[in-house]
Amino acid sequence: MREMTTRNFRRQSAEACRDTNLRAVLDHATRYFQAKRGASLEAFPGRGEHFARARAARLNALSRLPDLLEELETNASAAGTQVHWAADAAQARAIITGIASAAGARVVVKGKSMITEEIALNPALQAAGAEVWETDLGEFIVQLAGEPPSHIIAPAVHKSREDVAKLFAEKLNLHGQSIPELTLLARQALREKFLAADLGITGVNMAVAETGSVILVENEGNIRMSTTCPPVHVAVMSLEKVVASLEDAADILRVLPRSATGQKMSSYVSVLTGPRGQGETDGARETHLVILDNGRSEILADPVLREALACFRCGACLNVCPVYQTIGGHAYGWVYSGPIGTLLTSLLQPRAETRDLPFGCTLCGACKRTCPLSIDHPKLMMALRQRAAKGRTNRFGAAHSLLARHPLAYRLAVGTARAVDPNLDLLPRLPGLPGLSEFVDSRHPPELKKSFTARHRTAKKGKP
Amino acid sequence: MSRNAILSALRAGLAAAPLTVETPPGRPASTPVGPDAWAVLAAVLEPLEVRLRLARTPAEAAQHVADIARERAAKTYTRWDTALDAFGLDAALADLARLEPGCCRNLAHVDLGLVLAQAAFLESGSLAVVAAPGRHRAASLLPPASVALVPKGALRPDVSHLPALLARHSAASGRLPACLNLITGPSSTADIELVLVRGVHGPGTLDVIGLDWDEE
Repeated sequence: MREMTTRNFRRQSAEACRDTNLRAVLDHATRYFQAKRGASLEAFPGRGEHFARARAARLNALSRLPDLLEELETNASAAGTQVHWAADAAQARAIITGIASAAGARVVVKGKSMITEEIALNPALQAAGAEVWETDLGEFIVQLAGEPPSHIIAPAVHKSREDVAKLFAEKLNLHGQSIPELTLLARQALREKFLAADLGITGVNMAVAETGSVILVENEGNIRMSTTCPPVHVAVMSLEKVVASLEDAADILRVLPRSATGQKMSSYVSVLTGPRGQGETDGARETHLVILDNGRSEILADPVLREALACFRCGACLNVCPVYQTIGGHAYGWVYSGPIGTLLTSLLQPRAETRDLPFGCTLCGACKRTCPLSIDHPKLMMALRQRAAKGRTNRFGAAHSLLARHPLAYRLAVGTARAVDPNLDLLPRLPGLPGLSEFVDSRHPPELKKSFTARHRTAKKGKP
Repeated sequence: MSRNAILSALRAGLAAAPLTVETPPGRPASTPVGPDAWAVLAAVLEPLEVRLRLARTPAEAAQHVADIARERAAKTYTRWDTALDAFGLDAALADLARLEPGCCRNLAHVDLGLVLAQAAFLESGSLAVVAAPGRHRAASLLPPASVALVPKGALRPDVSHLPALLARHSAASGRLPACLNLITGPSSTADIELVLVRGVHGPGTLDVIGLDWDEE
């Protein structure tokens, strides 16, 4: 599989559009998630109030972010957790590989975590000599395939059972056909890794400032295994994941599983506060919390775009997005995909890499209507477009826009240009017209139809 | 130092453009726990493929446990200590070998795990289990078959009662228990073709025994 990059979003999207198998898989998956979520929310009394409370809990956390992070640090430390701060991905990798090295970690098990994808942790741990295992079934599959996840909550949604069977046979020499068989094979293979693991690494769904707890939400039990069996647990959080109180966390727990998978509650929610207590026989003896900025403090300073930090990653916006439904997750070229992924990637990655992303949005507003936290994705998308265009005004683009509002003038101008240069491929090369080449390249003008006489001549020639 | 630089940047950003948050509406009232609470719990557990059995005495609870062990063809079991000592479970499971808690490897191949739920939330069917000495986390995680006993007095309406539950199980110093798990049905995944499979890493089956008597 060719490496995907955000810079190549246009090309990757075009290629994904032509992949009919991918379209079928995405169609099935997004409909499945939408149906589950819809049924769950229909039977959720007071959902408007619950959504509003969850939004307030998230925005309240953002409005007091530095104070809450300090409170979290104080209370987590008091509970025995070692708290680390990382300004960027490189620092986070250095901190975590340092912990792994100090623990003498040879086998590392990981719970599903987008943040560790964001900081590219696995290659760093492997370079430090550790064997790293993704343990969420979907993540395990994409790890074996050497691919990034394609959906926030269903990382291997693009893989069929035949793909998985082939992968397990090739990479693990394990043979199964049916989905329950393949799941059991993964259970057996990963159970050994859990039992042998020296270090467990997870993300964080929420960190509670008032108690110093981390809250982890999952369905498989792999996160429980990763925090129960290895002697050391490292939780990695992006700094906006803090909430003020357990009350706020409970408000969010009413909404997050319902919006993500249509469940009233995920199979497992773990509230972890420090290492195992005296006399306990399992659970990590040593716990670490890594708080990562990686560009988020800049986003918080932005009064328009900071709303993107309210997201709690339910993934509902992906499933209703006509662009995601068409191109899937990989075409976005980085960790996050869909509407929220477009926003986060644009804000967290260098602008030169992500310029095209906000333009790959139809502004239909389905994401905004679906978001349980009422994040106004289209508004943020427009702000990103304006910023991308700022300082890049092209006078030919401006002239084109002006003409496009006046059809007669437009026809006259294009007719004149075509009369001189029928395929519009010579004009851009003329010296002394800076910006014309860039404008024409970006527009890809449709090919000129052949004249009636030319078409008539061709048709006559073609007759037997 | 990263910490100070991060906090300063966050403070500067908020000072330049403060973020105001509207007061949210009040939390919708929870449905009270009524006389039909067991029926409500059974109904919410049923789609999760979890069966609720009611016991009116500790002996009846032990009998249910023995029945479940037989149905699951269990040969070995692990259980919480103090919390379950009074139920006579070891006698009921005399044909099975009891594995002592320790590191996870000790319990890697145990067939059945028994725990006592400190709360059950009727809205979602979630069972709260709080770790402590004698209450090992692996008991509800490693075995393929899991059994949770739920006292009648532990029934709560919904997860909004989580903060109070944690407070009740906090140490005198105010420190929270190191681990509270909410368990809502068996371990599950739909990561291959969105087909639901139970028991991917945790237990594939969960049985709940309702202890239907008032505690003294």
